[in-house]
Amino acid sequence: MYSAPESMPLDMPTFHAEISLPYTLTPGGAAGTFLAEMKNRRIVGSRFANGEVVAPAQDFSASDGEPMASFVEVPQTGEITAFTRVDGTIIAFIKLDGCANEFPHRVLGDLDAVRIGQRVKAEWDDGVENSILAIKGFVIAEDAAVGTVSDLPEPEEAIGSLDYALALPYEHAYGPYYGRMFDEIKGFGRVMGVRTADGDDALLPPREIDDISHTPTGTWKTCADTGTIRGCSIINMEFIGQTKKPPYVYAEIVLDGASTRLIHLIEIDDVEFAKKNIGPGTRVRAIWTDGERKGSMADIERFEVIEE
Amino acid sequence: MGHHVAIVGVGQTHHARRRTDVSQAGLVREAVDRALADANLEMGDIDTVVVASGPVLFGAVNHPELWVANAIGAKGKPIFRVTSGGGAGFAGALAGYYQVAGGYAGRTLVVAYDKLSEGPLQYSISTLYDPFWGREFAVGIMGFSAAYWRARMDALGHTEEAAAMVSVKNRRNAIANPYAHMKKEVTVDDVLNSKPLCWPIKLLDVPPISDGAAAIVLSNEKLAAKSTQKPAFINGIAYCCEADNAAERSLMLSEPLALAAKKVYRAAGITNPRRQFDVVEVQEPYSCFELNYYESLGLCPPGEAAQLVASGATDLDGDIPVNPSGGCMGANPIGAVGVVRLIEGATQVMGRNESNQIKDAKLALVQSGGGWANLRGCAVLSA
Repeated sequence: MYSAPESMPLDMPTFHAEISLPYTLTPGGAAGTFLAEMKNRRIVGSRFANGEVVAPAQDFSASDGEPMASFVEVPQTGEITAFTRVDGTIIAFIKLDGCANEFPHRVLGDLDAVRIGQRVKAEWDDGVENSILAIKGFVIAEDAAVGTVSDLPEPEEAIGSLDYALALPYEHAYGPYYGRMFDEIKGFGRVMGVRTADGDDALLPPREIDDISHTPTGTWKTCADTGTIRGCSIINMEFIGQTKKPPYVYAEIVLDGASTRLIHLIEIDDVEFAKKNIGPGTRVRAIWTDGERKGSMADIERFEVIEE
Repeated sequence: MGHHVAIVGVGQTHHARRRTDVSQAGLVREAVDRALADANLEMGDIDTVVVASGPVLFGAVNHPELWVANAIGAKGKPIFRVTSGGGAGFAGALAGYYQVAGGYAGRTLVVAYDKLSEGPLQYSISTLYDPFWGREFAVGIMGFSAAYWRARMDALGHTEEAAAMVSVKNRRNAIANPYAHMKKEVTVDDVLNSKPLCWPIKLLDVPPISDGAAAIVLSNEKLAAKSTQKPAFINGIAYCCEADNAAERSLMLSEPLALAAKKVYRAAGITNPRRQFDVVEVQEPYSCFELNYYESLGLCPPGEAAQLVASGATDLDGDIPVNPSGGCMGANPIGAVGVVRLIEGATQVMGRNESNQIKDAKLALVQSGGGWANLRGCAVLSA
């Protein structure tokens, strides 16, 4: 439908972003008990009504969905059913003696010594509790006797929640439209959009196809540093990931010469003043950063209300 | 569509601020057990499964449907996950509906959940914004929603008092809801004087944050009889979107909801929604949204939502009760809410609602959606 010129891959600068989040995860009764028993150097499994034993413990049977019947202590010995090496670490599937399942863990040893069916035993890490990594890994134990599963009538109370964190780095490709817009912001301190096919107002962010008419967009246009608020709210709460300390105004602003809104901030001293004096229709101006522009919307430090 | 589709079994968890006794999968299991028991079925009777939940960043587990499949005994069944922000549960139900209506499945289990106590909510939601354009200034959905409301205040008269009335009504209704965990009556003044979070949104305009799951069994007409003599038929269901940065986007009416309503009303033969519906369930993550839904769903003309709520028409004893369950104000496990609203609507027309049964309810309207206004859907249910 749309004709695009032939293009070749180019190596262009990327936009770095990071999503970094803290969690309090809930393992549930079975996994929570397994983790709680790590400090006692016991490996806890679940026994199901059909006699199957699974370790680490699971609330429900993966084979028939039945809830677990009782906790058991499983042997710390077993065998390797599959393995690979990742960044110098050997990762293997371990099937503990008496268990129906296998689970991934480290093997501490030489890759040359590892084979399918190899007998292994758990080695504990003294510094770790409440984590499956309290088992440092499994070491080759050629002659380890085959262990047996035993009842565990009174296990530790399950751990209810565990702290966890994710930090995910990204390198986003700008593409030609964002690329030029941010180049213009960085190089010249101006916000540019593209015109629609049949009008003079610019779309921000710029794009190849107009969302309303589904036709290719037109030429580039510089928008003014001034604009009008369409909607806004006064942010009074703090939350993780916030880039500015409240209170401030979150505003959707249509720059003069544009037809779409951009999201930005307005600094305020007084909440009551802002409630009365900042709202839809209020005129604002972009205040650019004094420092070096990096090529992002944050190069506009804030907007401020103007009198006209 | 080939087959009529009915809700024949429902189940939800007792929602809570924080459940440390179960994992995400364990939470889902509770709702599934209840829905299957309610439908007089076992997992073996289910042909396909849809799992719906919010962004994976909420719970830090990718492909949670695999974990869920293990925990509910769905090994070997066709299963996939649907996600659509706050509308995840509703979108999941729509995906299940297509499977049964199209004849691909005789019975489909739809289970929806979120365990919001585990991760940072606003930050996770803010990642829905384009990384180049707006994410660094986003305040989850709340900042955006408050900005919409602020604009509607001037143009449509959606005052802080009118929104407070919505919160008061829904919180009062939630007291009778056995699955709600926020059960406290408040006054309009309490709401108006509560702490501003993103003004005009204040603390009591906002529902609690919850851990919860909800499940429904969808069945074709022929198989429905095994489960119940009185299924809740889906007379119409639709879910529409708009473009985030499009020009001409209205801050007033929710265009996607108006489009969905038009489509659904045509399918269900609705020409006068205010008169025809006996009961309405809507997903109101902020009290101001309910005012917008009244207008977008045609319960009143644009600009009259404040009068509608003030008149008492949407109260339990009004002519068009909205959220007899208490809506999100009683519990808000985001990804599950679309299914919770369907459950509340279905049990109304089945005559066995556990919160506040509306007498002789025959026709229910259910609304759900994600985002500030950009993903919206509705369904009509009848017994």
